[in-house]
Amino acid sequence: MTKNFAAEIGDTAKLLADDPIWLVLIKVVGIFAFLVVMTLFMINWERKVVARMQHRPGPNRVGPNGWLQSLADGLKLAFKEDIRPVLADKWVFFLAPVISCIPAFLAFSVIPLAGEVNMFGQQTALQLVDLPVGVLVVLACSSIGVYGIVLSGWASGSPYPLLGALRSAAQVISYEIAMGLSIVAVIMFTGSMSTGDIVGAQASTVLGFAPGWFGLLLFPSFAIYVVSMVGETNRAPFDLPEAESELVGGFHTEYSSLKFALFFLAEYVNMVTVSALATTLFLGGYHAPWSGDFLNTGWWGLLWFIIKTLAFLFLFIWLRGTLPRLRYDQFMKLGWKVLVPTSLVWIMAVAVIRTGAIQQLSTAQRLIALGVVVGLVLLVSFLLPDKKVQDTKGVPLAGSGFPVPPLDLAVPKSAPKRKVKVANIPKDTAAVTTGKEAE
Amino acid sequence: MNLLVAQAQQIEAPQIDYGAIAPLLVVLGAACMSVLLEALLPKHQRWAVQLVLTLGTLVGATGALIFYATSERPAQGVATLAGAIAVDSPSLFLWATLLVLAFGSVLLIADRSVEPGGAFVAQAAIRPGTIQDRAQATKTGMQTEVFPLTLFALGGMMTFVASNDLLTMFVALEVLSLPLYLMCGLARRRRLLSQEAAVKYFLLGAFASAFFLYGVALLYGYAGSVKLSAIATAAAGTDRSDTLLFAGFGLLVVGLLFKAAVGPFHSWTPDVYQGAPTPVTAFMAACTKVAAFGGILRVLTVAFENTQWEWRGVLYGVAVVSMVIGAVLGLTQTDVKRMIAYSSVAHAGFLLIGSIALTPEGTAPGVSATLFYLLAYGFTTIAAFGIVSLVRNSDGEATHLSQWAGLAKRSPIVAGVFTFLLLALAGIPLTSGFIGKFVVFSAAIEAGLAPLVVIALVASAVAAFFYLRVIVLMYFSEPAPDGPTVTVPGAFTTIAITLGAVVTLVLGLWPTFVLDWAGTGTFLS
Amino acid sequence: MSLPAVDVLSQFLAQQPEPVQRVVDTVTTGEAIAFWVLGPLALAGALGMLFARNAVHSALWLVVTMLSLGVLYMIQQAPFLGFVQIIVYTGAIMMLFLFVLMMVGRDSSDSVVEVIRGQRLAAALLGIGFAVLMVGSVGRALTSVQSKGLAEANTTNGGNVGNIGTKLFTDYLFAFELTSALLITAALGAMILAFVGRDGKPARKTQKELVEERFQEGKRVGSIPGPGVFATANSVATPALLPDGSVSEESLFEVIEATDSSTLSDDLAEVAGTGHQPDSHALKGSES
Repeated sequence: MTKNFAAEIGDTAKLLADDPIWLVLIKVVGIFAFLVVMTLFMINWERKVVARMQHRPGPNRVGPNGWLQSLADGLKLAFKEDIRPVLADKWVFFLAPVISCIPAFLAFSVIPLAGEVNMFGQQTALQLVDLPVGVLVVLACSSIGVYGIVLSGWASGSPYPLLGALRSAAQVISYEIAMGLSIVAVIMFTGSMSTGDIVGAQASTVLGFAPGWFGLLLFPSFAIYVVSMVGETNRAPFDLPEAESELVGGFHTEYSSLKFALFFLAEYVNMVTVSALATTLFLGGYHAPWSGDFLNTGWWGLLWFIIKTLAFLFLFIWLRGTLPRLRYDQFMKLGWKVLVPTSLVWIMAVAVIRTGAIQQLSTAQRLIALGVVVGLVLLVSFLLPDKKVQDTKGVPLAGSGFPVPPLDLAVPKSAPKRKVKVANIPKDTAAVTTGKEAE
Repeated sequence: MNLLVAQAQQIEAPQIDYGAIAPLLVVLGAACMSVLLEALLPKHQRWAVQLVLTLGTLVGATGALIFYATSERPAQGVATLAGAIAVDSPSLFLWATLLVLAFGSVLLIADRSVEPGGAFVAQAAIRPGTIQDRAQATKTGMQTEVFPLTLFALGGMMTFVASNDLLTMFVALEVLSLPLYLMCGLARRRRLLSQEAAVKYFLLGAFASAFFLYGVALLYGYAGSVKLSAIATAAAGTDRSDTLLFAGFGLLVVGLLFKAAVGPFHSWTPDVYQGAPTPVTAFMAACTKVAAFGGILRVLTVAFENTQWEWRGVLYGVAVVSMVIGAVLGLTQTDVKRMIAYSSVAHAGFLLIGSIALTPEGTAPGVSATLFYLLAYGFTTIAAFGIVSLVRNSDGEATHLSQWAGLAKRSPIVAGVFTFLLLALAGIPLTSGFIGKFVVFSAAIEAGLAPLVVIALVASAVAAFFYLRVIVLMYFSEPAPDGPTVTVPGAFTTIAITLGAVVTLVLGLWPTFVLDWAGTGTFLS
Repeated sequence: MSLPAVDVLSQFLAQQPEPVQRVVDTVTTGEAIAFWVLGPLALAGALGMLFARNAVHSALWLVVTMLSLGVLYMIQQAPFLGFVQIIVYTGAIMMLFLFVLMMVGRDSSDSVVEVIRGQRLAAALLGIGFAVLMVGSVGRALTSVQSKGLAEANTTNGGNVGNIGTKLFTDYLFAFELTSALLITAALGAMILAFVGRDGKPARKTQKELVEERFQEGKRVGSIPGPGVFATANSVATPALLPDGSVSEESLFEVIEATDSSTLSDDLAEVAGTGHQPDSHALKGSES
């Protein structure tokens, strides 16, 4: 079934324009509740999944199977003492968690949760607003949200948070570029930046059976988006701003009580938001994997949307359970030297393919274009320097060329020992005590 | 597969006259190529390859220019790229001037015989005064990024003089300025002074750009377009508020006058001329002046010709201030480079006279005169700075005037050439400077600016005094015992100085050819 | 239930907000209210930036101004410009400013010595004069300018974003392309001013090379044992003991062991408490 989605463009916006204010308010409250509940759920889910990966039970005390653990933790946090360091900058210290929290919620307002539904007798779309620049709203919100992290680190007046904040600033700026570029290809295909239109454009199928999701059509963009969304939310393996082995707690080291809870909330809401955006941009949003069923209409969309978003959230947890944290320079190298150039080349390729498709080139012309591309790739690959040949001299190493101890466990005969002069320590003072107190 | 073809909204691409803008494209394309070479080539090969590429580009661009200028083309010029670039006779003249002057400057920049390794620092990122800095002082390498920067600056200048709307003009202004800011800070000797010059130039330049941009915004508010011709059309009507027009004009002109180092907007000039590496000073003094006045001429004659009676008085005053400042403050200088800087301020005043010489009938006799003056002044300045770079002691260039005492006894040739160039700057007959002043002043008289010409003549007389002072110092003073030596220049510097001096002489004797060429056409409106 | 308040409330709730893309070109009440909220906010941000003592506070005030401007653009029917303003200016540029300010450190303050006498006063007077002139003249001039809404531009030819794209690739094509020259120059400049090349020195060893080197030298691969920490002393000179109670020679610190014990006698005595005792009249710690 090939549906002409062009007719749908702007439909969501028109549908939403008729919403009365009470409906808008209900949607606002609904989104807020959804995000808070998702946060509580995610914390618990994360702990349980990571526990399962590490062969331990995880939280299992509070509530049925421990599912109320994060609620209890949240309540406990709220009643803890609020501490402000002496050197902290009073106002900024207070503002930072608020700044990090508000944009996190705000960004969700452009995410379409389901298509056309009937709410209390009103035909509407399950989405708060559909702006013509919807995707930019999410980017703008994430770029403001990082102020919370950076300011919290600066305002704490302590070195570890400051280091965390510096890392975060560099990290978010670098990865936002890759994220923005990965979205460009989607926008080129849709011809619109509105999230409603982007989901609408993915309603059709490709080749008759496969879903026309951009995640399949534009797989490189999808991959880059997924990597950069992890970087953008400061999650493992990119959680350098709060690397606990290096920076204690990173930017939130000095925070406690409700302010700390706000940071926690912001982090998880951000995760939900970027996952939801990934669903919207690349996995067809609220559309079912097949088309033209009644399962693809109305409130059913919410189900598909949540399933897809949860899949991304599980990916976050999975990554955290399996991957070690990157070193900072490796992380920056990945962003600037891999993701950004790949994105740029890919956008060029997409532009060429689209131009070719639109201009109805002949087969010969297409083959020539293909030949030019292959030639360029070959040229570049010839110009690249060879990988350094491994130095095969040196001592033979057991195993796969990587230095490991000998497998036969024979102790090396001539292990050189340090020659150390041992001073003559008199026997009677060997145990150096402060004699009097021992009496 | 409807996803692949859906939603294709075709737009009409603007027409591009590639032949007309070929020189511009060659320069900008070569600049990009030059950056790539910088990234790919090993360090020891860069200087030679970059030099060949840069000089080749200049020659190629000049060739393309000559080819286009001599081929069949519309007499009044063409506006291409959706009207953003106007290629008319003044554009072509200014492009040719810029390319040839840049050729001379690049020769000075590339020279490595006067100072081992050239006038540029080996690694600008090393902080001045550190151990690493002392270690690199003995190295002969240089920051070869100067070449692409020069090409970018030149590309910006060429766009600036040909841009037909204020937005393109603004971007071009930035493209020409940014490389210059950088190049100012790359001197091999006296690095702190050089970096200070770069920062000063950058801060004040950014400030001036802001003025320019504010002016553009107000003019857009006035005319509803940034095109020069649209502003002229809007100003011809009477139903709009003139406040926006004149506020916008004022701010715009401040930005332009800053770049041209005119009058009260000159405060950066002495420090930057003194601190920058001398080849860069030569490039700035010659080419930036050409570009800035090219832009001023176009803006005044195309966009604001209708309203000349309102703004002429202001620029009249600015020209007077500029000449007075340049002439009087030039008298008190003790440093050769600062002295030439103040002389350039005075010359900017003379050039401004030519720029505002519009007649009530709508003709602009000052345009061709100013174009000629720019060409003449550019060559003289390049040669003068080339000579400044030759007089050296163990600390680098000896620019203090007391060190120049008795130079004629050490090196009569250098002193002779420098004397000739100073006379040209002063406007003595048989030099291009005289002809330049003559044509500008006669154009001003034609446009009814006789009082201004009188003031200009007085200012010239005052300015001549400090040029003559240097000549007297060189010929009639006893050389200091520990005075500087005059380095024997290598081929590059020799060619550059010879080129400048010869053009100065030839234009002084047979100016007709260039005068004719400068007067072939008017700005496209 | 027919309380008038409930009626008013229900009426308010039932009313429909204005469509997202207005087709009208008049200034609505909502827009006017937003302007009078955001305008003073932007102005306050600008003034705060000038007068804040702390550089980071100054930057934050500027962020307020930029955000206000961004939202003003949005309500004036330029959503793309508004969001790009927020992403680029607040998100990237101001973030870099903050980055630099934080690197410099929070305690470093500017020198407030006036180099040129009376410069601040003159600058303030001139600045205020200029502001008054501009506000006065432009304000007066703008009353005669006819406002022109963006309703048409926002609804035809692909809307707001599409039309901006069209302009960029037709009328302002050259300016747009020329900007790339600016960006290349900026990148090149950053490289020149900040990058110190290694200049022929061999590249730094990778982690892998370092590991292999360590193994090939045949040295001890792990770390050597630290000093022993006993209940009685935490000196680095205290040797670590092996399981059989003997001294682990590897834990001994070469420099200390090589020092003749007589030169350390004073320290030893002090630690042992057998050395010089304080005067009995001196204030002592608790004697309990």
